[in-house]
Amino acid sequence: MDPLTLALWAIRLAFLAALYLFLALVVRALLRDVRAASRDPAGALGRLVVVASVSLPAAGSVFPLDAVTTIGRDLGSSVVLDDPFSSARHAILTFRGRGWYVEDLGSTNGTLVNGIPVAGAQPLGFGDEIQVGDVRMRLERGTR
Amino acid sequence: MIAAELPGFPRPLLRRRELGLLLAVAGTLLLGGLSLGFTRSGSPTLAHPAGLLVYLGALAGVHVALVLAGRRVDEVLLPTVGLLGGIGLLLAERLPQDLVVQQVGPAVLGLASLQLVWLVLALVITGVVAIAVRSDRWFRLYKYTWAASGLGLLALTFVLGRDVNGTRLTLDLGPVSGQPSELLKVILVIFFAAYLAENRVLLADARVRVVGRLTVPPAPYLLPAGLMLALALGIVVIQRDLGAALLFFAVFLCLFYLATGSKVDVALGIGLFLVGFALLALVFPHVRERVATWLDPWSDPLGTGYQTIQALHAFARGGLLGTGLGAGLPAVGGQLPIPAVHTDFPLAALGEELGMAGVLAILGCYLVVVARGLRIAAAAADDVRALLCAGLALVIGVQAAIIAAGNLKLIPLTGITLPFIGYGGSSLLVNGLIVGLLLAFSDRGPVPPAEPRRARRLARAGG
Amino acid sequence: MARLTLVLVLAYGGLMLGAGYWQVLRADDLSRDPTDAGMIAAARSTVRGRILDRDGRVLATSRRDSTGEPYRVYTDASVSAPLGYASRLYGSAGLEAAYASELLGAGGDDPASRALAKFRPRGERGDDLRTSLSLTLQRLAVRLLGTDRGAVVAIDPRTGDVLAMASTPTYDASGIADPATSRAAFAAARDDPGQPLLDRAIQGRYVPGSVFKIVTAIAGLSSGAITPATTFPQQPRAESTGLLVSGYRVRDGHHPFTGTELLDFARATEVSCNIWYALAGLRTGGAGMEEAARRLGFGAPIPFDLPTARSQLTNGGGPLPGGFTDDVELANAAYGQGEVLVTPLEMALVAATVANGGEEPRPRLVTGFVSPSGAVRDVSRGTLARVLSSDDAAAITLAMTQAVEGVDGQRFTTGAQVAGVTVAGKTGTAQLGGAGEPHSWFIGFAPAEAPTIALAVIVEQGGGGAARAAPLAGDLLRAFFAARP
Repeated sequence: MDPLTLALWAIRLAFLAALYLFLALVVRALLRDVRAASRDPAGALGRLVVVASVSLPAAGSVFPLDAVTTIGRDLGSSVVLDDPFSSARHAILTFRGRGWYVEDLGSTNGTLVNGIPVAGAQPLGFGDEIQVGDVRMRLERGTR
Repeated sequence: MIAAELPGFPRPLLRRRELGLLLAVAGTLLLGGLSLGFTRSGSPTLAHPAGLLVYLGALAGVHVALVLAGRRVDEVLLPTVGLLGGIGLLLAERLPQDLVVQQVGPAVLGLASLQLVWLVLALVITGVVAIAVRSDRWFRLYKYTWAASGLGLLALTFVLGRDVNGTRLTLDLGPVSGQPSELLKVILVIFFAAYLAENRVLLADARVRVVGRLTVPPAPYLLPAGLMLALALGIVVIQRDLGAALLFFAVFLCLFYLATGSKVDVALGIGLFLVGFALLALVFPHVRERVATWLDPWSDPLGTGYQTIQALHAFARGGLLGTGLGAGLPAVGGQLPIPAVHTDFPLAALGEELGMAGVLAILGCYLVVVARGLRIAAAAADDVRALLCAGLALVIGVQAAIIAAGNLKLIPLTGITLPFIGYGGSSLLVNGLIVGLLLAFSDRGPVPPAEPRRARRLARAGG
Repeated sequence: MARLTLVLVLAYGGLMLGAGYWQVLRADDLSRDPTDAGMIAAARSTVRGRILDRDGRVLATSRRDSTGEPYRVYTDASVSAPLGYASRLYGSAGLEAAYASELLGAGGDDPASRALAKFRPRGERGDDLRTSLSLTLQRLAVRLLGTDRGAVVAIDPRTGDVLAMASTPTYDASGIADPATSRAAFAAARDDPGQPLLDRAIQGRYVPGSVFKIVTAIAGLSSGAITPATTFPQQPRAESTGLLVSGYRVRDGHHPFTGTELLDFARATEVSCNIWYALAGLRTGGAGMEEAARRLGFGAPIPFDLPTARSQLTNGGGPLPGGFTDDVELANAAYGQGEVLVTPLEMALVAATVANGGEEPRPRLVTGFVSPSGAVRDVSRGTLARVLSSDDAAAITLAMTQAVEGVDGQRFTTGAQVAGVTVAGKTGTAQLGGAGEPHSWFIGFAPAEAPTIALAVIVEQGGGGAARAAPLAGDLLRAFFAARP
């Protein structure tokens, strides 16, 4: 076999090998990301991001959500608000089957979703904004 | 977005992973160019070096632009798509240049030059969109406007369009001609995403019983879905575009499943599509002919089955490792063995020259794009954005799968292009747009500032 | 999201399997097909290898036309049937089609040599084919068939080597291959009412008549239903009155000189007694007949270098064992009428099986390949099946010898005798129904003690077996043994 043909085939096979090398690099990067995400299992169902707040929690805080999450000033609440306009047990978020529902727990000032008061248990979409007292929070998708 | 509200210039952010992968892409493509040039000239030379370098330069340009913009967007998509586009460019250089000839001003451009121009333009779109698009408010607020404009575009194509190869897909606007159904893909995904996100819970939970335990969402909420089915099948009939119909419907069903998680509805949808398709096949001879050709191309080896058979032969000639770039596609009497190879059968050409090894690698790249897109969707903060990203990723992945399956005679052949590789200006530009949107929506926001101590404690107490 | 990803991964997995199917499993048969663009392109640039006979004489070679493109030239028309043609306009047929990939230097059957062939620069010249044909015998067979339509297949029973495979009328393969005369020559061959493009030796299916009695004998003896000593008491009387089978009379009466003699196996074969064989077939039964026929290769294409038609015992689907409609069909089939159809190659193999002591050789035309550099790659030979025991084969050989050499046998096999060589054989006169002349058949082998050649001869509508086929076989055998004693 003459050396030129051999060299040609070496290059052809090297091209194929390079394709797979690239794929291997990419897949490694993908796996690393997946692993990084799975290392942080909290908030698989969703999270509350504080958008605006005059007191604590500060804007930008993130709360991973459990299937039942209570919001209020009471220290036993899942999300504790230090806001003068919120009640002790203010609202409850529940994950039922495929989506989130919000219910006001008879608070003094009520709970707003996208600026509209909540009546009864009401479905909540990701990206919706909940207002409790002066604290505005956005429901975001979890990391699942 | 918070980032948009922050004043001042963005701080450049190094993208090491993207840079590394792009260097790998450059190395791979240069090897490919060397392989092609060597086969052509018989000595180790780079084929068409200028084109390859311009393309790599454009990729580098997008990379630098993203670094300067300082957004924390995905670093895997651009190199993967860049590799696919580069393979498409190599293929375009390898094929006879007179397959497509266009006069642009004083210059007459052949296949490879045109493909290069479109690729660079697509990369420009990708970069601009990835940097400029910061919010999805536009998409979510004006969904019916988007749907209407999509339908309008379709209607326009039907009324003013030009028939090419028996399908009315091409719209001429002065000197520029394009295929609006490519853009329609993006518009429809935007509409689906907004519509499904809004009605997600209702579609999932407010069920109407049909028979026994079988329930479906109530009719008013299903109406848009029904319209979609009608639209998809309408495209088959009017535009003879089987591939686009399949694509729209498959993406719609996937998004529907993502939004509601209802397997029953998806199964019903598939059933409806099959029934509708069977009815069409009964009524329209061209659909029937497609199916017959698919089932047995050898019944008319020199007529309707010719293209398909030649493509299968090309795959077979390639075997495991292929013939090498430039060494396949034996010309008989100056004619390529597969007609319209650059638009309809790029995968067959690559299958011959790069072998099964090459086909698997290329399919792997598409899978990476989809997986990455779905990952971006999973990490998205809200429903609209999640569905939008998933839909855009699926458009690429499902489209590639449909045309690849058509090339391999796994399903009837359709006229849609292989994303990033097949020749076609509209297709490349729209796919560039899709990648740009995916990049933009993958933004993880600015590097988060260290949280105040107290808030963190509260957050932990909450968790 | 995870589920959707999984679905897509599965879909892409399906695509990859599809690629594997076409690029690995189907790669060989598609890319070596003569209609493949690669093969066509290769045929235009590569000079096809030569095709040689068993003694190295050239049967086909290539020349270049004025533009430098090669075209095919054949030594003469007698080899047109097995060799076929290779034409730029009309593709290829015969060995030219079956071995296109080797003749064009695209590598052989095994994957390793094909993988290596990819690394070689494409040769200017393909491999030569070495065949088992004897040009002398082939020419003689075609000359003896003359203007009649028919076929001759001669096989070396020890190796399966096909020595001659003639089909008449022949056609002008050189004319079809020559670009200057291609259209006219192909049109002439295609429109000829004699259908020369049909290779009768492997594609022609004929009613066998009495030559099929050898198959019945194989079935009867190997199943134990009959022995060489078997006689049927009702046979002598049935000669005159006919044999009543399910209300239908099987008639014979073409050997009145045996009178009331009770015929055994050898005598019945010598005088070709239809009644005896009908009774033997009935006693063997449909299942036994079908079993033996299947072992001989009926009902399926024969493993061979060229595509062969299937020989059949019945039309199939009948309610009786073996697919027979009723006992009448079985009785008729036992002496080669009924719905029996055979190819000349199949009948040559039946003779070769008996000659080879009961083991059926695998027929072969191509014995090896010679690369342009002189490297030789041989094709192995083999056997298809052990069809019957050597004792049974010896009994049939004895009966067939008596049919040619015996006093009464000679009446039916006139002309098949060769001075100094014992010939074993059987004639057939295949009635076609209607007024037409019957097909004239002969199958046999020689020398009976240690056979070196087995053959089948059919002359379409050539009359009785003794009229055309038997003397033709005799002439061939005489020439064969004159050349190599």
